[in-house]
Amino acid sequence: MIGVIYKREILDHLKSAKFLIGFGLTIAITVAATVINVQDYGRRLQDYRAAQRDLPANKFEIQIFRPPELLSILVQGKDRALGTKASVNYLHIPDRLTGYMLSGSGAPRPRSISGFGSVDFAFLVRVVLSLLVIFLAFDAVAEEKQSGTLKLALANALPRSSLLIGKAAAGLTVVLGSLVAAAAVAVLIMMVHPMVDPSGADAARILSLVAASALYLTVFYTLSLLVSTAVKRPAIALMVLLQLWIFLVVVYPHLGVSIAENFYRLPTDREMAEKKNAAFAPYAEELKKVQAAYFGGDRASGPGMRYLELQSLRSRLENDVDREFSLRLSGQLGLARWISVLSPAALFNRAAERYARTDIEEYDRFLASVERYWKTKYMDLQLLFYKDLPAYRKAPTPPFDHPAERTAEAWIATAPQIVVLALLALIFFAAASTAFLRKDVR
Amino acid sequence: MRTIVFREIREHIQSLQFVVLLLFSVVLFSANGIVFARKFQAESAAYAATAAQFAPNTQYVFLTRQPNPLLFLAEGGDLDRPTSYYMMAKGYFSASAPRPRDYKLPDIPKLDWSFLIKTIFSLYVVLLGYAAVSGEKEQGTLRLVLSNSMGRVRFLAAKYAAILASAMIPLVVGCVISLGILGVSLPQVLTRGLASRVLALLALSAAYLSLFAFLSLLVSSAMRRSSLALLTLLAAWVLFAVLIPDTSGILAEKFAKVQSDYDAAKSVGPMIQKEIWGKIGALRPRIDKGELKTEEAIKAEADRAFEEGQEKVRFFERSYEDSVAARASLARSLARISPVALFQYAAEDLAGSGVDREQAFREDLRTYSRQFDAYVLKKMGKLVGQSNWSFSTSVELNKKTVRIESPHAEAYKGDMSDFPRFAERPPRLADGVKNAAADIAGLLLWNIVLALAAFAVFLRADVR
Repeated sequence: MIGVIYKREILDHLKSAKFLIGFGLTIAITVAATVINVQDYGRRLQDYRAAQRDLPANKFEIQIFRPPELLSILVQGKDRALGTKASVNYLHIPDRLTGYMLSGSGAPRPRSISGFGSVDFAFLVRVVLSLLVIFLAFDAVAEEKQSGTLKLALANALPRSSLLIGKAAAGLTVVLGSLVAAAAVAVLIMMVHPMVDPSGADAARILSLVAASALYLTVFYTLSLLVSTAVKRPAIALMVLLQLWIFLVVVYPHLGVSIAENFYRLPTDREMAEKKNAAFAPYAEELKKVQAAYFGGDRASGPGMRYLELQSLRSRLENDVDREFSLRLSGQLGLARWISVLSPAALFNRAAERYARTDIEEYDRFLASVERYWKTKYMDLQLLFYKDLPAYRKAPTPPFDHPAERTAEAWIATAPQIVVLALLALIFFAAASTAFLRKDVR
Repeated sequence: MRTIVFREIREHIQSLQFVVLLLFSVVLFSANGIVFARKFQAESAAYAATAAQFAPNTQYVFLTRQPNPLLFLAEGGDLDRPTSYYMMAKGYFSASAPRPRDYKLPDIPKLDWSFLIKTIFSLYVVLLGYAAVSGEKEQGTLRLVLSNSMGRVRFLAAKYAAILASAMIPLVVGCVISLGILGVSLPQVLTRGLASRVLALLALSAAYLSLFAFLSLLVSSAMRRSSLALLTLLAAWVLFAVLIPDTSGILAEKFAKVQSDYDAAKSVGPMIQKEIWGKIGALRPRIDKGELKTEEAIKAEADRAFEEGQEKVRFFERSYEDSVAARASLARSLARISPVALFQYAAEDLAGSGVDREQAFREDLRTYSRQFDAYVLKKMGKLVGQSNWSFSTSVELNKKTVRIESPHAEAYKGDMSDFPRFAERPPRLADGVKNAAADIAGLLLWNIVLALAAFAVFLRADVR
């Protein structure tokens, strides 16, 4: 019996104008966003490769470039916003990346040059497909109740649970089919581009992204089913669902970020500068003397070595303060995430950015690699200048290494979001089932 | 007609969407008032502390932007821009610290009035208006209403007025709450100038929400089923509010005929090599030929070479920043296809924030830079231009090593009580309206086109 209901519901959905409009819009946005993003990725990758080849580097100041993430085509996250270059010298351990061009303002490239955000596959799922889900499911029960077909259907030897499961399975098949179609179109467009060369890990991450998207849409589907069961008229169900959607997707995550932004105290620039000065204060006098001797013309290895050691110490002490600030920023982000913990949109976004390696954690990992490079390979090379000049001259620029995060680590990191999404879907479906079993179908 | 308007407003007020909109409006505008009052207090305290420590210096000046109390209307990216700059002679500026500081938070728009109106209120206008005609058609009441002596134009006009009024009521309530909170926390902000700006922004909001009301009536008249009309309207909303504005930045980077970030960076190394080291290198044959005989003569020539070379680097950096601004301008032009962007940019102009304000600030910096240069010239007798880069090398003169370095500005030791102080011109509403005129005209054009289309479709609609 479930099979009959399943087939009939699928046919009804596929024939409906709302599905055709929604699906057409989904594919159109997927094509437009992926074509734009894949070209943008190609341009950024070209710049990255050319920068590695062409931009001047010397052993004193080594330029480290961050490549664009392949999966930023699907989930832009922070990838474009946070800079591409770290200039490594003994005077400073980079705590943020800049653009290729360290312009007069010295700032990393702005978030968006038009003042708006970005459109990608994650946006499509978060906004467009979740709306389509609501439109496909709001009348699942309420419409049948209003038109009187619900009591006719249940007058047959059809258990209520079978009817609900059949409807849910059919609706989810159509929704997830649309999702898979959109993902397939996006991946196809990516693969056609000559500069896109995904690895096995990328494929696993894309599959994880699609799975998280499916779970997110399932939450909205089961929520829609619950509302459709609980209210009498489909028009009211639609209105209730759209209010919930606005709250869960737009208002709630926004409030979370706003609260964290305004009520989580961060040290001011002045406090940071004072802390850095205080940390180095015991050595400041000695540095002045050594600096005066060194730049006064005493190029013996003694003062030179000491000058380097003191500058290196200052960089490390300042880096400690920067790292502390970075941890405060992570705390601020953690607060925003905790406040938005029940927003499916915020949970999905976090998981999607993690799978695409475009989240802030990936940026932090990259900066940690830069710091490690500075403390080991870079400083070893600088010390060699004073210890063994011929060896220094012969030594090649040490290569920078940034190990890629394993997919399993991303799965572990996103487990809490996936569990909460799954729990929400289960709770909504259980509530919908209970409401349907108790429903007066007359 | 008045009867229909009042009946419709009554029905809207009793609807779920109106109640939720009112609730959102109260909560979000309260948050807006609290958030921006705190921000302004914090920025003002930082500004006052910096201003108190101002010390005249002929080497460089530390300049701080005055915080804008009107950011709660439209933040316009102001909070992400640097708050202070180092300025050196010959118009060289460098931001003191990159912004935003809290870069780890998700990139979402600030909770200002323009965001609430352009996103939440426009969405609710659609929710209030999608069933205006198709709902009556579905219920069969449309032909009953029109069988009375009620013209179709008056019927649609009444529906339009009711939708707009129903959206404006929660908006005005929210605005009053926000102003109340700001008034309690920052009484100095409540001025007559602010009242003019608030009224101008409300008029702009009415024009903006009006076009969504016309769009809702158009789609509702053209479609038989309300749920389909709503789906179509939401698709249009996503297109206008997200797709067009959000892809304009990337498209501008593709189409702008300006240097990319990487291309600009690539030019710097060869430029320094040619303009600075080339000129310094040219000194060596002159020393060998005996044209430069003393250490002083060599240093004077080196200073001149470094100055000329640095000037080229500074000019290049300024050109690059201009090209970035040109690209941003193209992105904004592309985004203007969407009425949401027209509203956003006009709101920023009315709030004295955004790109136009940034340009005005930079003009003020340039004006001050000329005053600073004139002062340094008067006190020191010369101007030393610097850049991000400093250089040093050595040459041989009569088998003796002469160290040459790029010149640095020197500090004046005497009385500097007449040192010029930096003053920003406060944003004027008249300038804001002038800058926003084209965007406002665009919004009005959208209104006219959608109104004509809505009336034309409804007049031809089969109401059975």
